Amino acid sequence: MALINRDSKLCDIILHDPSTITVLDRFGIALGVGDLNVEEACQEHGINVEFFTTILNTFINENYFPQYTMAQFSANEIVDYLIKTNNHYQQNVLSNIERHFSFLIAKAPSHNNNLVIMKQFFDEMKSELLQRIDDDNNRWFPEICRNEKAISQIAEAVTVEEPTDTIEDKIDDLINMLVVHMKGDYDHNLGYAVLVAVFSLKKDIKQNNRIRNRILRPFSNALMPSNE
Amino acid sequence: MNNARVIISTHNTLAALGLKKLLSEVFSTDVLVVDESFFNVLSTTTEPHLFFVDQDTLVARLPFFLPRKAKTVLLLPSDQSIEDFRTINITLTESQLINEFNSLLEAHHNKDKESTALSSREAEVLRLIASGKTNKEIAQELNISINTVLTHRKNMTAKLGIKSVSGLSFYAMMNGII
Repeated sequence: MALINRDSKLCDIILHDPSTITVLDRFGIALGVGDLNVEEACQEHGINVEFFTTILNTFINENYFPQYTMAQFSANEIVDYLIKTNNHYQQNVLSNIERHFSFLIAKAPSHNNNLVIMKQFFDEMKSELLQRIDDDNNRWFPEICRNEKAISQIAEAVTVEEPTDTIEDKIDDLINMLVVHMKGDYDHNLGYAVLVAVFSLKKDIKQNNRIRNRILRPFSNALMPSNE
Repeated sequence: MNNARVIISTHNTLAALGLKKLLSEVFSTDVLVVDESFFNVLSTTTEPHLFFVDQDTLVARLPFFLPRKAKTVLLLPSDQSIEDFRTINITLTESQLINEFNSLLEAHHNKDKESTALSSREAEVLRLIASGKTNKEIAQELNISINTVLTHRKNMTAKLGIKSVSGLSFYAMMNGII
């Protein structure tokens, strides 16, 4: 899909990639988008159009590098989006995977220890993600919001090397375990359900990390070189 | 190494049971213990990857085993070797036996699935990674260079598609490596 701009229709965006609905949801937009285009929807919901298109384009296109940076957006706006993203993981995505996994283990025709081990690996990844969310909410985000004024005065932040993300790696590993190394007796349908749920988390985390690392982190680094 | 279907036939029931337990617990191998009459009806079952048999069974069923000598392993109570057949000395110590079976099963597994099977060296490195050892410690323990350890790790990740240390540890648990 071509880059999303202010004239793009919301329904086309969702039809092209249904997983965008979870992103739109973070802006207060739900299904039943009618004929609205991006600009009209943003007006209706009081959203900054540039911010909205940047977020969606980052989500849809892996190679998209945001043209607008922190200087154009307010720190609060970005942090608010990331908080909603974290909430989405905590409340929906993780519990979804967990539920599917539990069913998968419970409905296996005979005890399948590999499923139990994979679930343990998922639990480890999950607690790492929850820890990061906790750190975001209690340390990183408040710090950025406190320094919002200083941030707006930094004309251009130095781009930093994107750190390797252990959560992203572990999600990839979990997907490989399911796709390549799954064995023993299990309910196929529930196996697919786990896989699809983990995939949707992977996609979202990737986008989340791009926003964290490409937009937020350079400015937070410029502000507090010793901390982040 | 996994799902190599193995058939054991020996008059020594205790040996058969012990071997079955070893193969299924250590190597997660699918094992069937049978008596001699089994070889009359083998055509109705899937041909296994390996046969472990004692000398009596072999002699009694030579016409059956001769064409299958590549997959027949003779269980012997000494270091004796028999022409044409691979042998395992069942009086070896436990760890020596495990090593023997490891290379036997691995050879078969590699034949089946060259792309994703770990070599025994890689499995060894994986076991050490899973036990929390650093690259340096692994190099020391196996008496190889750190570069070799890194190469093993790279190959392992390429074969398994798993890169995080804890992912590798869980993989090792799933496959009976630790």
